[in-house]
Amino acid sequence: MLLALTVMLAVTAHPAPASQAPGAAALTILTRDGQRTLPLTTLANRDYVTIDELAGLFRLTAREDDLAGGMTLTYAGQTIVLTADQPVVSVAGRLVSLPAPPRRQGARWLVPVEFLPQALGLIYPERLDLRRASRLLVLGDLRVPRVVTRIQAGTTGAQVTFEITPTTTAEVTAGSGGLTVRFDADAIDLSVPTLPAQTFLLAVTAGDTPTTVRLATGPRFSTHRVTTVPADASSSRLVIELLPAITTTEPDTPAAPSASLPAPATPPLLAPAPATGVRTIVIDPGHGGEELGAQGPRGTLEKTVTLGVARRLRTLIETRLGLRVLLTRDDDRTLGLDERAALANNNRADLFISIHANAAVRAAVRGAEVYYLSLDRASREAQRIAEGPATRLPALGGGTRSIDLILWEAAQARHLEQSSVLAGLVEQALRGRVEMSPHAVQQAPFRVLVGANMPAVLVEIGYLSNGEQETALASASYQDQIAQALYDAVARFRDHVERGSTPTPGGGAPEPR
Amino acid sequence: MTLRTLVLSAVVAVAALGFGWSLFTALERWLATPPAAVADGGGEAVLGVATPGDDVARITVTLYFASADGLGLQGVEYQVPLAATPAEQARAIVEAQLRTRPAEPLLATVPEGVTLRGVYLSERGDAFVDLDGAVRTTHPGGSMYELFTIYAIVNAVTVNLPSVPAVQILIDGQEVDTLAGHVDLRRPLTRNDALIVD
Ligand SMILES: [Zn+2]
Repeated sequence: MLLALTVMLAVTAHPAPASQAPGAAALTILTRDGQRTLPLTTLANRDYVTIDELAGLFRLTAREDDLAGGMTLTYAGQTIVLTADQPVVSVAGRLVSLPAPPRRQGARWLVPVEFLPQALGLIYPERLDLRRASRLLVLGDLRVPRVVTRIQAGTTGAQVTFEITPTTTAEVTAGSGGLTVRFDADAIDLSVPTLPAQTFLLAVTAGDTPTTVRLATGPRFSTHRVTTVPADASSSRLVIELLPAITTTEPDTPAAPSASLPAPATPPLLAPAPATGVRTIVIDPGHGGEELGAQGPRGTLEKTVTLGVARRLRTLIETRLGLRVLLTRDDDRTLGLDERAALANNNRADLFISIHANAAVRAAVRGAEVYYLSLDRASREAQRIAEGPATRLPALGGGTRSIDLILWEAAQARHLEQSSVLAGLVEQALRGRVEMSPHAVQQAPFRVLVGANMPAVLVEIGYLSNGEQETALASASYQDQIAQALYDAVARFRDHVERGSTPTPGGGAPEPR
Repeated sequence: MTLRTLVLSAVVAVAALGFGWSLFTALERWLATPPAAVADGGGEAVLGVATPGDDVARITVTLYFASADGLGLQGVEYQVPLAATPAEQARAIVEAQLRTRPAEPLLATVPEGVTLRGVYLSERGDAFVDLDGAVRTTHPGGSMYELFTIYAIVNAVTVNLPSVPAVQILIDGQEVDTLAGHVDLRRPLTRNDALIVD
């Protein structure tokens, strides 16, 4: 282990990454031998690390070539070539795209933090697993499951769900003032939504050790019940119900179940998915945060509508198909397009659905549309380069990280056929429920689809620039219709993949334009 | 460190340097061409149909606007000044595409007030069209609107200048991810016939 040779920190009980002080931004690096940090510089919402600090930590030889305006980084005889302001780097002869170009600030060189897994990861002998959202880098074979917390609080109880990926066991113990959940892992990558304190649950926080989470219970809490539900082959859900003292005759009713949560007591709804096929679905609500997207004449925002539909769709798929569903964003935040595809890639999603609402030059234009990626000249070239002899090299990482072995640009190219099947199914399902545009299935060079390493479509669910459609798009009933249609399409696509059944496109084959 | 990575390193280290640098220096050369070199090629005379008696040599080009039903891009012939070089000709065409407000029922697809900072050509013939930031701040969003804005420009250049295979749009001199969150602008785009209607 390389870092063992570097100066060790006096780590006694290193805090879990989630409890890191939010002040100065830093990337927490977890290794067998402890924890290190790498300072982060944030520019335009993107995290960068300096080459100097990278080189120091990973024992790289950095050499600047003033003449060519470039920088070479060498590790064990393998070289990475960077050029300022070029978002493409050469890693041992292979071209790899970065989400943003390296930057020069005086004598300092900065690279986006994705450089670590996407470029350095190709020549470094250990796995570099970047958890961008939690600013965590896991080195080697440490077991650091991602633990995503969802909280459903009601007046008769509360329910805390931990989605654990990859799955590991956990033990819940009751103590004074709350419950402690201990995960069987080296550390956990914990995310907890903010919640207002209420009568059953006051707070969910990282525990005293890297593998524990603490639930501070409130005055009405009396007892708890734990259920573990396999979500799919690689992840599971641990559900903790916080219940009041039993005074009524309904102790078996799950606390405050809601449509937005799968009820753990009803396993038929959550039958484990088969080992192959469609297990994980990433839903991408378009835009968010500072990026409003399109806007209706009465001010309805695309970013709001897309999130509403995405949440409805998640609920349907989770509860009826029992599949693992991830949203690229579950709140109103600014999120880069590469990060959306990366979330799907990193979670090995089997399906990617980006949801948008449209605007046209003319207000009369209306109807829903489905897009899959068109290959332009450049992406066809990228695909050729990726498949050509220059990059046909032994698979680093044992072939499990194929996304790193090809140009990012070409990731979607390999799935176009399935993406077009998916687009056809989505179009068919939508047509039964909502008005379609005259060009219902189209191809376009949409950025969010380019890097998705799985079948992927972008659905435009209607035109905000049309007054009537704006009203519909903002309504719960229209959003439900869209979610139901997309759910139907996902279910049919799953059948298509898992049973090899050929979907029958209704009303003729989709007509790409 | 494994044997595999050692072997790999021996094979590719040299190639990496050579290939990497040659690619990047090529890119640098394309991108280093200052927009200023063609910055004054336009002028006011580009608008509209040729005035009789005007002694500036003109060529007929096809510009693209949203069709009456709003569902496609429709080509309309206009005249623009004949330019001395392909880069200047491309600039004159884009200037006209940006400034022309077509007759009803057609509609322009580039928001009003967007100015052209420059047009230049790469060694392989691709055009780089550098728009000012107004194109982003005034754009109403929506993938269809964005496709129409971008492909009106891409088609105007590639259809009228067959020697230009593709067009990359820059904003304020920078390569950008997208204009309004959808269309990938990191690479030159080729002409899109599917959006064109008669
Ligand atoms: Zn959108």
